[in-house]
Amino acid sequence: MHLLHLDITSDPACLKPVRHAVEAFCQSCGFDDKSTGEIGLVVNEAIANVTRHAYGGATDRPVQLRARYDDNVIEISLRDWGSGHDPSRCPPKKDPMVPGGLGMVCLRQLMDEMRFVPQPDGMLLTMKRKASLT
Amino acid sequence: MDLKTAGDLVSSARTEGDALVIAVRGEIDLHNSSDLRTEIMDLIGKQSPKRLILNLEQVPYMDSSACAVLVETLRRMRTLGGKVYLVALQPRVKGLIEIARLGSIFTIAADEKEALG
Repeated sequence: MHLLHLDITSDPACLKPVRHAVEAFCQSCGFDDKSTGEIGLVVNEAIANVTRHAYGGATDRPVQLRARYDDNVIEISLRDWGSGHDPSRCPPKKDPMVPGGLGMVCLRQLMDEMRFVPQPDGMLLTMKRKASLT
Repeated sequence: MDLKTAGDLVSSARTEGDALVIAVRGEIDLHNSSDLRTEIMDLIGKQSPKRLILNLEQVPYMDSSACAVLVETLRRMRTLGGKVYLVALQPRVKGLIEIARLGSIFTIAADEKEALG
């Protein structure tokens, strides 16, 4: 079993290092390049959604990322202590010319499972994807 | 004609006939996408081109906020009666463009020569 724990803030400056850390984790688990990039993108989009929506743009709030790889499946959880905003309840994006909603499209298309679990003081997002091994 | 650029995300910019060619560089995400927006809009505002060619060869990664900048750029160019070409897409960027279905609203070209031709 492989584990990754990252405790960060909602500052967008964290996106790049977190993305790289998640991608390195995926590679160490044996994910191929394409899957690694897609999972990195999903994590980027999920954290950006937390910053923009759950924390209303605040950049100093806590975000907890946990990743676990076991039995050919990566499970990623993202916890925030924000407004409890659930992006999965937003209407699906239809027109590419209209801004917004692309992050959720990425989450839905690129992960095998995705669930927003409301918490008394925020939101827990859990996502799973089966490995496409190199 | 080579143009002066102000920020870190545009490695070069030049005009060629009615085209403005901008080479973008680096990983673009929510942290720096607004800077990219400023740089591109500034160049469009000064040149009012009929064609905008965005060379993304040096962009290994972009996220949805960067896609939003591209769409806003396209809207701006349409008000000028212009067209936007996305050139030299790297694999991860190409993947996101496909997910975002941006291939249907932008013109995708393999390289600058194809876009300028």
